[in-house]
Amino acid sequence: MSTCHDIEPQLSELLDGGLSSAELGLVEAHLATCERCRGIRRDLERVRRAARSLAPMPPPAHVWLEVAGHVHPAAADGARRPTATDARVAMRQWIGIAAMLVLVTIGAYFVIRTPGAPVDPSGNAASASFVEAVDDMDKTVDEKIKKLETLVKEGKDRLGPEAAATLMSSIETIDGAIAKSRAALGQAPASVPARESLFEALKAKVGVLQATLNLMNEMRKGDQAAAAEAAAAFGKKSS
Amino acid sequence: MSVAHADLALVEECRANRPGAFEAVYRAHAPRLFGLACRLVGRSEAEDVLQEVFLTAHRKLGLYRGESSLGTWLFRLATNQCLDHLRSKRARFAAMTDELDAEPPAPHAGVGAVVGVVDRLDLERALADLPPGCRAVFVLHDVEGCEHREIGEMLGIADGTSKSQLHKARMRLRTALAGGPSRAESAS
Repeated sequence: MSTCHDIEPQLSELLDGGLSSAELGLVEAHLATCERCRGIRRDLERVRRAARSLAPMPPPAHVWLEVAGHVHPAAADGARRPTATDARVAMRQWIGIAAMLVLVTIGAYFVIRTPGAPVDPSGNAASASFVEAVDDMDKTVDEKIKKLETLVKEGKDRLGPEAAATLMSSIETIDGAIAKSRAALGQAPASVPARESLFEALKAKVGVLQATLNLMNEMRKGDQAAAAEAAAAFGKKSS
Repeated sequence: MSVAHADLALVEECRANRPGAFEAVYRAHAPRLFGLACRLVGRSEAEDVLQEVFLTAHRKLGLYRGESSLGTWLFRLATNQCLDHLRSKRARFAAMTDELDAEPPAPHAGVGAVVGVVDRLDLERALADLPPGCRAVFVLHDVEGCEHREIGEMLGIADGTSKSQLHKARMRLRTALAGGPSRAESAS
């Protein structure tokens, strides 16, 4: 007579149709008399079905910009040189990204400022991997940000004064959110909203800097005059 | 035109640097590959991994011969990229699946069925808390529909190990989705 200990490891194989007919006979005979193992089989089937329904995830828009920024130089060697339109498109995309990231950051910051925002003193609401990911990111992202900031500072003149001013103001807003999120975490280390806010702010800063670098790349490759025109147009829009 | 022919034609356009061709490849496949990366390496690192996948794909397009669909080719590339990322992050990953076999079994989640309707967000969170070895097997098998033979090849483990890791992953998820051992036991 098979025991639960013998049968339980075979329940996944049962669901996946991988048992031989002899094994199948034993498992089914056990299930006919064991409520516990029938329950496990139902649960595993629910888990399996739910996994099948997990959807693809559209990546953030700036990922394509970064990929395209690396891929285009190769294309320029071949059939097509970047045009002034590319520079204008890049500028429009950058404006959108910068604005969106700042809004996300501000939104996340407001979550921790809102009275009654959920703060779990035990920290149980935050998954261990999320806490680990944010803490990891907070420790390692500084170096990445410093490198990006250096590159952006070196090429900032290429953006034109208006776009550069907007960039600095965006960075200032995000830096404020990073500082406040860190302060909030200092006071309540288990706070889920504060950790989420820090996560969003760090990501936003990296996102803005990377998108800016990409824009500068496009402008270097494209028509300088048109890029300057785009930068001027951006200045008008942002005022 | 068959899928393989359509893929080959698109790849040819990419090789010829036709404007928009590589972007079309990205738009068609990025969501699935980003989902895979989020689930295997975590959301915070998935963007870098996805970027690297498409840069590698762009460099290696010349190697694509149409023997499988472009989606399958990219999926293998992305899986390898994720696993490399995990290995470099944790040098111990190579031994991870063996170590898991030696771990104490996941706590039992009580008698009878204890998991109700599974919320996708809850499942994503519980998935993120699995150890990397059995999480990789679960994602590749139950989310992406790979067979144990393919998973064994990708992870460098035996089919039997892939099967046992899958069962462990499902059992751990069952416990997590039931609200942890204490809630599950009281439900029994």
